[in-house]
Amino acid sequence: MRIFDMFVPENLVELLQFLDAHQSGVHLIANGTDLINRMQRRQITPKLLVDLTGLNEFKYVRREGGMIRIGALTTISELVASPLIDPRYSVFKQVAMKFGGPSIINMATIGGNICAASSSEDLLPVLLVLEAQVQLRSVNGERTIPLNDFITGKRKTLLRPNEILTETSLPELDTSSTCGYEKIGMRNSLIIAFVNCAVYLKMNNQTKNIDDVRISFNRTSGKIPQRAQETENALKGKRFNEQSITDAATVLRGELKLTSDFRASEEYRTEVAGAIMKRILRSCAQKLSGEQIIV
Amino acid sequence: MSKHLLNITVNGKKHAVVVQSHERLLDVLRDRLGLKGTKEGCSTGDCGICAVLMDGKLVNSCLVFAIQARNKEIVTIEGVGTAEKLHPIQRAFMKWNASQCGYCIPAMILASKELLDRNPNPTTEEIRNATSGIICRCTGYVKIFEAIKTAAAEMRAAD
Repeated sequence: MRIFDMFVPENLVELLQFLDAHQSGVHLIANGTDLINRMQRRQITPKLLVDLTGLNEFKYVRREGGMIRIGALTTISELVASPLIDPRYSVFKQVAMKFGGPSIINMATIGGNICAASSSEDLLPVLLVLEAQVQLRSVNGERTIPLNDFITGKRKTLLRPNEILTETSLPELDTSSTCGYEKIGMRNSLIIAFVNCAVYLKMNNQTKNIDDVRISFNRTSGKIPQRAQETENALKGKRFNEQSITDAATVLRGELKLTSDFRASEEYRTEVAGAIMKRILRSCAQKLSGEQIIV
Repeated sequence: MSKHLLNITVNGKKHAVVVQSHERLLDVLRDRLGLKGTKEGCSTGDCGICAVLMDGKLVNSCLVFAIQARNKEIVTIEGVGTAEKLHPIQRAFMKWNASQCGYCIPAMILASKELLDRNPNPTTEEIRNATSGIICRCTGYVKIFEAIKTAAAEMRAAD
């Protein structure tokens, strides 16, 4: 480990003032599951870290104004343990199961996962289909940005040097909508995905009409999690059946550009992407119509 | 900003240590406090070998800078049992010969302890999940899981 300094602020005011005064060469560290890994691999060599872990006011999950609000320092374990994460949000339990072992999910924070803005982050596709917004704060005040706009590229976000991410908010799901997630990797735990996919589905239970659908993937060639909007449009307004999801998978094949590396080829990933998208769509539809879920 | 006074409780004992920013919890436990039971594996959070309990939760001590563990309570394998008075989990690991090279065993036992403290009667699936962050390259896990089940039964009987 290279030598560096760490600033440990006592409170939020001190933190924001420090960041405002040191606008370059500073790295923020929450629980470090991604940052320390990258420091060990010498991918980054920060001179100055700013420790966020003392800011306990950003550890919460609450329901407020039709939104689920998640404090940036909330860990994956704390999120899924929250009573607000009821069966409608079982998608977060699916993510946590595949995210990493207990020692990782006990530490990895929601805010850290977003700010890492890496194409291997398991949580991001789910937050994208849930239309998450992020709240940012600096000495100049607060601003709220849709997550879709916040991540601009691989490891690139709209976070300014004097800002921190304080909260992620999700519009609450109604009873006719649900969300699902799937991750395929070399093994079931402790692995970076070949491809992962999240789906939000709003469906009329009687007519099986797809009122709204949002689909996102990670491990894309752009190295950021992305929505598959052409595929979404191919499904919107259709009746939910095998034919409509098979047609959507064909559209997806033309739309989705996935990365290719030592883990898996693009061809293989694309094949898997279509298959898991169909699988998640089926399980979401079954969940909404109250049938037994076969995953 | 390069040196900090770290107040930390390890295995019930309070310590005040001056640490440098780049020292990890793992370094403080092993090199400052001499608790060599916690092992270093990959150093990048992939193998789980360096796991300890921090405020009752399993964490990788290679992924925690020491100063970030300020005012926390840490339990290492040295705080679980002693050679004279083994913890039921340690006895069960011995009974099942669940340890081969032994390098992952401190972490395995701490992960088991964390599980059994909150769930006295776990299913095999729950045991697999609780230990899923720790890689053992010797055993194939079968004896480890059997040992955890035996320990669970023994701990339930003792209650």
